[in-house]
Amino acid sequence: MEIIRNYLETMFANLPNTAEVIKAKNELYSMMEDKYDELISEGKLENEAVGIIISEFGNLEELAETLGIGGVVNNNVDLDTRLITDDEAVEYVFDASQHRLLLGVGVMLFIISPIFPILAGMIGVAIMFVAVAAGIAIVVLSSIRMGKWKFLDNIRCVIDYSTANALYNELRNNSMSKALMMTIGILCIVLSVIPVIIIDELSANIFYGADMAPASLFIMVGIGVMLIITSTAKEGAYNKLLSLNDKKSVSGNYEAVRSVNREYGSEIVDFIMPNYWKIVTCIYLIWSFLSFDWGRTWLIWPIAGIVNKIIASSNNNKGDRNK
Amino acid sequence: MIDNMIEISSDVIRGYNDTMILYILMEEPSYGYEIAKKIRALTSDKYIIKETTLYSAFTRMEKNGYVVSYSQNAENGKKRTYYKMTEAGKAYYQDKCAEWQLTKEVVEHFIRGDE
Repeated sequence: MEIIRNYLETMFANLPNTAEVIKAKNELYSMMEDKYDELISEGKLENEAVGIIISEFGNLEELAETLGIGGVVNNNVDLDTRLITDDEAVEYVFDASQHRLLLGVGVMLFIISPIFPILAGMIGVAIMFVAVAAGIAIVVLSSIRMGKWKFLDNIRCVIDYSTANALYNELRNNSMSKALMMTIGILCIVLSVIPVIIIDELSANIFYGADMAPASLFIMVGIGVMLIITSTAKEGAYNKLLSLNDKKSVSGNYEAVRSVNREYGSEIVDFIMPNYWKIVTCIYLIWSFLSFDWGRTWLIWPIAGIVNKIIASSNNNKGDRNK
Repeated sequence: MIDNMIEISSDVIRGYNDTMILYILMEEPSYGYEIAKKIRALTSDKYIIKETTLYSAFTRMEKNGYVVSYSQNAENGKKRTYYKMTEAGKAYYQDKCAEWQLTKEVVEHFIRGDE
């Protein structure tokens, strides 16, 4: 039955998502489903049944008049719309996640660069500049490479039903590793003060120890930030592709896509919530580095957790009242 | 003598899809696949109506007031759209029957057998 669903979605892929089109698609699917059930109960093989159904489907031109889609059907491909193929989707996910990884490495280089002067004195200053330059080079180069996907923002692009389904499945499978990376990243940042404390206590009289402590802090924060940046790399790419199809641009029952878009009440909250933890991390880092009061700044995490809950639940209430 | 290789041209039959559907709906309200199946059975598999043809006929006739549609759950719990013939549909059917008689009579004059 999946083949038939895909066939139908492909036939309708270029049509506008009007009520008539959706109704037509559902009715046609219902008829095809009835026919399929009967053919199977007559003892036909699945492939045979699908073959018969597709050969007896007819063509969309017949529906053009009833659906008011004459122009679209005859052109078949809307010139303004670019269909992203399966291969392109895979390539985009690969490129985008690689881009994020390089971005993460670049940012990590920025963050850990101060350790070189700490550890190696004047030569270290030179190394620091090299590290920063390398970080900049990595970020710039990877951004330029991403330039070829600019068209995703500039022209209207769509993905077809089967691609959307595949992406959604991958998105779900990816959520575990994303959560893991992000957790480890946050832990790295939160725990970055521990080596400082330990080394401070243990190595008061060991040569070098005093320098190792701040250096390890930068390294752990660097790794943590890199993990946080890369953790959402794939998810970002999947969501980007899945959000290409919306109700306005293409017909299709993309439940997969819709469930990705969470609904928040107000516009400000809409804007903040998807980036909430990133913003909190930024505030934490900026505050910590400016004040160097690491013993106290970690308090931002439990507070942020509670605030998050409050915002989420107050918005749910609003949503319920609207209904 | 009907050659098996000959298929009905969709141009010719197009004007009479409505007639066939209305004929079936005269008995009782019905839904898409059942109507297609009955048409096929009544013509002993000589005419298989395409899904898109059927659906465009439904929407056109509903717009013209010849049929009305409603949702109903089938025995197996599946929700289907049923179509029911209206009085206007009955009148339209009568007209189409008369038209066909006339068409047949006219075209018949120009049909010659193989001999």
